Amino acid sequence: MLEKPDAQNLLATARAAVLEEILPALPPDKAILARMVAAAIGLALRETTAGQDWQDALQARLRRLVAAPESRLLERLAAEIREGRHDPGTPRHAEVAAWLRDHARLRATISAPRALG
Amino acid sequence: MDEAALRGWLAQASGDAGLRITALTRLSGGAIQQNWALDVELGGAAQRWVLRTDAPAVLAVSHTRPQEFSLLSAAREAGVTVPAPLFLCADSSVIGRPFFVMARVEGVAAPHRVVKDATLGGGRAACVAALGRELARIHAIRPPRADLGFLGDPPADAALAAIAALRRRLDAAGTPRPVLEWGLRALERKAPPPLPPVLCHNDFRTGNIMLDAQGVAAVLDWEFAGWGDPHADLGWFCAKCWRFGQVAQEAGGIGPRDAFLAGYGLPVDAGRLPWWELLATIRWAVIAADQAARHLSGQERSLELALTGHMVPELEWDVLAMAEAL
Repeated sequence: MLEKPDAQNLLATARAAVLEEILPALPPDKAILARMVAAAIGLALRETTAGQDWQDALQARLRRLVAAPESRLLERLAAEIREGRHDPGTPRHAEVAAWLRDHARLRATISAPRALG
Repeated sequence: MDEAALRGWLAQASGDAGLRITALTRLSGGAIQQNWALDVELGGAAQRWVLRTDAPAVLAVSHTRPQEFSLLSAAREAGVTVPAPLFLCADSSVIGRPFFVMARVEGVAAPHRVVKDATLGGGRAACVAALGRELARIHAIRPPRADLGFLGDPPADAALAAIAALRRRLDAAGTPRPVLEWGLRALERKAPPPLPPVLCHNDFRTGNIMLDAQGVAAVLDWEFAGWGDPHADLGWFCAKCWRFGQVAQEAGGIGPRDAFLAGYGLPVDAGRLPWWELLATIRWAVIAADQAARHLSGQERSLELALTGHMVPELEWDVLAMAEAL
């Protein structure tokens, strides 16, 4: 059992310290950097909170979409899309489109959750 | 910077042997180019200039300073609001690298201020109309132009050339990005037929345009200019990713799209704009990913570059919606 507070708690506390205590004391030319620090901590916090399950689920679906060695699945999908093999009217078009939406949405949940509305 | 050598060269170029440098200060920004605020006394009168040169040990990734000087000169001659280009020194022996000198323009370019501060630009609709007129003047520059020969021959098909260039860049980066491929493939299927080429600025967006209270003070950053489809610039300026949070203001986050296009005045094929806006979104995603790669490679450790990479998923989310609607 690791010592508490855990990473999530520490990151959230550090982010609050940057925004509430450090930022107001900084000259304007350093404020942008402090905001970036807070943004980076927020991002790391969301990544920690999200865990690994969603990535595993996406990877499992990807395995069913394309045939390639595990480390080259994404590369294979990208190549097949470029070749037009998942254009509208092809058998896997809808399935690939749905996978891509989830792939983008789940990454945006961490990188830019506000963009998802 | 060898100030004595610079003074000697400027004295000769300006025809005033008594020219005096009163201040020379490095300006912030520009990882590839260096800008210096250069104050001189010329014929007894104070002049405020900018000296623009390459950063040391930077590989050529965009136009050279002499080429940029030619572009600025062509733009100024066409009536585009640019800082007056004054002197070009292609001789590397003076300060160690080629440089040029242009007039120093006062104004605000910082995008988050430009989109929020309604006192800038002479009114929001008037500002985007003026920007439309600036772009029309740029697009009035057509090949062939001996002075712009370094731009090479125009692409036979600017749309397909743009797709090919982004694919090459994705391949060079080496990270598979199926969503961006999906967008590029949609563009390929629906590529518009070629138009007669014009000079495209290729980075005409909020952040590269300096405004003052009256209007447009300067169109900056000409290093990516080239021959292409005029809709490429219109799409780049209007793309959602360049509105800096002011999404409802479709012209650069500053004002209404209709006012921008009315100011532009030249014929616009409205059907081409969604195509070029999708291309713009993919192009920015590719650039953002490359910026993060610079950080990740250890070449340039930077929190800003690192965070820029995290814009990619949001851009990809937009790419999927735009490709669907194309």
